[in-house]
Amino acid sequence: MVRFFKRESGDLFKNRFFGFIFKNRKFVFGLQVVIALLFFYAIYMGFYDSSKDNIFTTALFWGIFWPFFIVTTLPTLGRVFCGICPHGFLGKYITKIGLKRKMPKWLQNRYIGVMLLFIGWWGVYYVFPGVYRTPLGTAILFAVMTIVAFIIYYLYKDMAYCKYICPIGTALRAYAKLSFTFFGSYQSACADCKTFDCAKSCPYALSPFNFEKKKSMGDCTLCMECTHSCEAIRFRLTAPGAAIYEKFKIVKEEVWVYILILAAIPISMAFHHGLGRSNISEEMIWVKTAAWAATLFDAGNFNLTGLFVFLYATLFSVAAAVVGMAIAAKIMKKDFSTTFYTLGYAFAPLFILASFAHAWEYFFTTNSAKIVEGMAWGFGFDIDVDPIAKRGDNWLQVFHLFRWIAVAWAFYILYRRFKHIDASRMRKIFAYPFASMLILFFIGVNIYRDYVLETYGRKTHHTHAPQKHQVAAISTIKEEDAKHIWLSDRVPLHEQGGPGGMGQRGQNTRVPQKSIYLLGGDFSKPLCVNEIKGRFFVVDTQNRYKEVKPVKKHGCLSVRFDTPAVGYYKVYYIQESAVGTKIAKFEFKRYDHNSEEEYSKEKMRAKTIKEVPFDLLRVRPDNETFYSMPATGDTVRFLVLKSGVPSPGVTVRLTTQFGWNKSVKSDRDGVASFKLIKDYMPEWSHFNRRFRETYWVEAQAENGGKIDYIVAQERFGRSRDEYSSSAYALIVAIFLLIATAGGVALYRYRTNRPFKEVKFDE
Amino acid sequence: MSRLKKFIDRADIRRFRFWVQLSAFILFVYGGYLSIDLGREMPVFICGYDQEAAGMCYFMPLQHQLARDWERLFSAAGLGVLSAFAIFLLWFIIFNKAWCGYICPLGTMQDWITLLRKKIGVAYSNYTQSQYSSLKKIKYIFLAIVIIFPLLMGAGLFGGEWRAAFCKMCPGRLITPMFVGDFSQWSIDFSSNTAIFLTAFGIAFTILFIVGSFVKKRFFCFYCPMSAMHYIFSPFSILRLKKEGDKCTKCGDCYRVCDMQIFDIADDVVSKNILRDDCILCLKCIAACPEEDALHLDIVNMALFRSTKDGFAKRMGVDKERE
Repeated sequence: MVRFFKRESGDLFKNRFFGFIFKNRKFVFGLQVVIALLFFYAIYMGFYDSSKDNIFTTALFWGIFWPFFIVTTLPTLGRVFCGICPHGFLGKYITKIGLKRKMPKWLQNRYIGVMLLFIGWWGVYYVFPGVYRTPLGTAILFAVMTIVAFIIYYLYKDMAYCKYICPIGTALRAYAKLSFTFFGSYQSACADCKTFDCAKSCPYALSPFNFEKKKSMGDCTLCMECTHSCEAIRFRLTAPGAAIYEKFKIVKEEVWVYILILAAIPISMAFHHGLGRSNISEEMIWVKTAAWAATLFDAGNFNLTGLFVFLYATLFSVAAAVVGMAIAAKIMKKDFSTTFYTLGYAFAPLFILASFAHAWEYFFTTNSAKIVEGMAWGFGFDIDVDPIAKRGDNWLQVFHLFRWIAVAWAFYILYRRFKHIDASRMRKIFAYPFASMLILFFIGVNIYRDYVLETYGRKTHHTHAPQKHQVAAISTIKEEDAKHIWLSDRVPLHEQGGPGGMGQRGQNTRVPQKSIYLLGGDFSKPLCVNEIKGRFFVVDTQNRYKEVKPVKKHGCLSVRFDTPAVGYYKVYYIQESAVGTKIAKFEFKRYDHNSEEEYSKEKMRAKTIKEVPFDLLRVRPDNETFYSMPATGDTVRFLVLKSGVPSPGVTVRLTTQFGWNKSVKSDRDGVASFKLIKDYMPEWSHFNRRFRETYWVEAQAENGGKIDYIVAQERFGRSRDEYSSSAYALIVAIFLLIATAGGVALYRYRTNRPFKEVKFDE
Repeated sequence: MSRLKKFIDRADIRRFRFWVQLSAFILFVYGGYLSIDLGREMPVFICGYDQEAAGMCYFMPLQHQLARDWERLFSAAGLGVLSAFAIFLLWFIIFNKAWCGYICPLGTMQDWITLLRKKIGVAYSNYTQSQYSSLKKIKYIFLAIVIIFPLLMGAGLFGGEWRAAFCKMCPGRLITPMFVGDFSQWSIDFSSNTAIFLTAFGIAFTILFIVGSFVKKRFFCFYCPMSAMHYIFSPFSILRLKKEGDKCTKCGDCYRVCDMQIFDIADDVVSKNILRDDCILCLKCIAACPEEDALHLDIVNMALFRSTKDGFAKRMGVDKERE
C-alpha cells in the first residue's frame, strides 16, 4: 500500500477538480444516488403513465443516458458511466449480502451480453419499430434488465453480471479503448508493493497494478474503489486511442462487438433511413426481399423491410470483414484467427464516432428541447422550448465530418495493428487493402447513400406544409391598365423582391436556367401581368432567337429557359396593336468563374433582332467585362434603333429604383448617355456594398402614324468610391510609416548593443 | 558530366539567384501582357489582384473554394477543391521551398529592399533566438486564418466579408498590383466593421512589411502562411536540402549567411533532412559551407549542388590570392 505519492502531470487525480469528481466518496455516492433515483423514477413513470403524454421516460433513457452517458463518454473519457450506473451501484451492495457462488462456465460467455444488445435491442428495434420509443416499452426493457441484473448479482460473486450478461458491458469495454484516458498505477510504486491492497479492494476481482503492464484495463468499470485503498493508482491522460495500438490480450468478443454494432447501427441506418427514404428505395434488395417474403406469409405487425435491412446489413458487414481478413491472412501466410482478431480492432472508431456525431447533431436539432421538456414534465412542469438549432442549419454539417475522421482513424489503427503481425513488409502492404475491406464497405455505403439522395432525391412526405411562396397570393394587373409593362427576373412577392435574383443554380439540373417575369404598373409598385396579348422572344448569346410560350410560376406569368453558355441573353415581350407596339426588354449576362470564356469585343457588342421594330441597346464600354458591371458614377449609353437603324433625337428617359429620373435626347449617332447618380443612401450600418440598384430606360417614337414604346430593365452596382477611401488609407499608411520607421530608429539609437558571438555547443 | 558537376559546384549562387529572381519577378508580375497564364494554383504570393499576373497565389482560390456552403463543399463539388490542391502540390513538390527563395515576387522584393539598405549603408537587425522561436509560430496562425475562416463562413457562422480574409490582410494585395500601376488596393473599405478592420490591417501589415524588410532580411517570410503550408508538404518534395552531420565542424558559416536565422543548419548534426519551416531554400548555406559535401541539395537522391572546398575557395576568392 502506498500512502503518499507525487503525482505526475497528466494524472487526472492530480487536478483538484477531477480528483474531486472522480475520487470524492461523498460526491460520487451522491451522484450515484441521484442517477439511481432518476432511473427508477423513470421506470415507474413508464408504467404509471404509458400514454404519449409521458415524454419523461424516453427523454431520460434515449435522450440523456444513451447519447451522453454512453456514446459521448466512450470515445472521450472512457467507461466513466459504469462508475455511476445504477445497476453496478446497487449491485455492489447486493453482491455483499448474496450467495457469492462462482458463475457456471456456460454463463461466463460475453456473447450473451453482445447478443442481447445486438438482437434484443437493435434486432427488435428494426423488426418492431417504435417499441422502444414508447414509455411502456422502455420501462419494461429496463425493468426486466434490472431484475435479471439483481438476481445475478445475488447469486454470483465478483460482479459477474457486468462482465458477461450486461448488454453494454462488453461494448463499453471495447469502445473505451478509444478514449484518451487510461486507468492504472505508478509502476515504480507497485514494484515494491507486497500487500496488493488495490486488488483486494476491487469488487470485480481485478488487479489494477497489472493494468499498465497488460496495456489493458480489462473489465474495470472505473468504480474507483481501489483509489481509496492505495495512492499509487492513477487516471492518466493519453493520446486518443493509445490503448488500442498496443499489444494486449485479445478478447474476441470485442472484435465482434465492433463488427456487429457497425452492422446494426450505422450500416442498417444508412440502408433503412438513408437509402430507404430515397426515391429509388423500391429498387433496394431488402425491400424486394421483404416484398417477396410478404407473398409467402402474413407478417402482421412484423416490419419485414426492417428485418431484412437488419439481416442484409449484418450479412454484408460480416462477409466484408471475414472475407477481407481471410484473404489478408492468406497473403501474409498467417492463420485466420490471429489475423482477424489482431486487425479487427481497427473497426472500433467507425460506429462510435459516427454515433457520437449523430448524437450531438440530434442534440442540437431535437434532443435539447426534448430533454428540457421531458425533464420538466417528469417533475410536474410544462415547458415548451425550441431546439438550439434548426435541421438543415449549415454549421451542423461539421458533424458529418466525424464519419470521415472515423474512417481515417480506422485506417491508422489498422496500420498500427499490422505491426503486431509478424510478416514481411511486402505481404503486409498487399494484405492491407483486404484487411480494410469492412472500412471500405462503410465508406462505400456512405458515399452511395449520399449519391442516391443527391441524384434521386428524398421521398416527399405528405405531412410537409406546402411551400410558402406557392400559397402567397400575388396581386395582378391587367395589361391595358398598366402604366408601364416591363420584364424582370424577380417576382414582386415582398417589398424586397421574392425568389429569383440569381436563380440560376437550379437544383439537380446541369444546365442553369433562368425565369423572367412580366410585370406591370408603377415602377415602385410592380404587379404581375397574367393575361397577355403579346409574344415572348428569347435571344441567346449567339443572337439566335425563338418565340417562347409563357408559363405560370410563383403565381406570375414567366418564361423559363436554359442558359447553357456564358454571355448575354435577352428576353423581349412584344405586343402589337392598332395604337402601336409595346415592347418590354430584359437583358442579362450569365457568367461564372469556372468558364474559360474570353470576352471579346464581338461578344460584348449589343445586338438587336429583326422582330423588334424599336430597340434600346446598351453600348458597353471597352473596359467592361463579363466580370464587371456599371457602377455609380459611370456613364451608361443606350443606342436607339428604329427598325435596326440608329435614330437621333428620340427622347429617352431613365428612372432609378429610388425614383430619380432624367430625360435626354439621343445624339447624332442615336446614342443617349446618362451618368448614374448615387441615390442609394441608407443608414451607414445597413449599407450593402453588393447592392444592385434597378433602373428602367424608356423611349417612345413615332413610326408610320403609330407610337412604338419600349422599356428595358437594367441594374447597376456600387462604385468603390462609395464605400472605400484612399485618402484615409494614405493617412493611415503615412502615419504608420513614420511611427514604425521612427520607432525602429529610436530603438536603434537607444540600444547600442556590443557585438556578441554566437556559440554552438561542440 | 563530372565537368558539369564541378562547374555547378563552383557556381556563384548569389549572382545566379539574382537573375533567376529578376526573371521570375518579371514573368509573374508582367506575364499577363504576354498572355502567359500558369493557373490559379501557384505556391507563391503572386496576387490575383494584379490584373497582369501570370498566375495566381493558391490562397485566393483556396479561400473562395473553402467558403462554399458545406453542403456543396462536402459533395462532389469538393472534388474541384481537391483537384486544385493536387495541382498546387504538383507545382510545389518540384521546387520545394525554392519557390520562396527564387520565385516568390514578394520575397524577391524583400531581397531588393535589403540590397537598397546595403547600398545606403544601414545596419540590419536580427531577432534573438527566443524571440525568433516564438515569432515564427505566427505563420501557423495566419495559415489557420486562411483555412478556418472560409470554412466557418461556409458553415454560416461568418458573413461574406470574411471570404478571403487573409487576402484582405496580405501585403501582397497592396504591393504586387502597384507594379502594373494599379493603386486602387490602397484604400480602406468602410462598408462594414469587418471590412474596415481587415483593410486597415492590410495597410498596417504592408507598412510593417516595407519597414520591417528594410531592417530585417526577409522580414515577412517569418509570418508567411504559404511558408507554413509549404513546410507541411515538404516531405513529399523531390528537391531536398540535406546535411551530413559527421562532416560538419559547427563553424557556423551557414548560420551567419542565413537570412532566416535557422539555428539548426549549423547546430543540428543529427538530422539528415535539414529543411526547416522557415527555410527559403536560397542555398546560401551550401555556398558558404567550407566542408566537402557537408551540405547538399538533392533531387530524387541525386546531388544537384554540393558544398565543396574548391567551390568555397572560388567563391571566397581564396584561389585567386594563392596565385
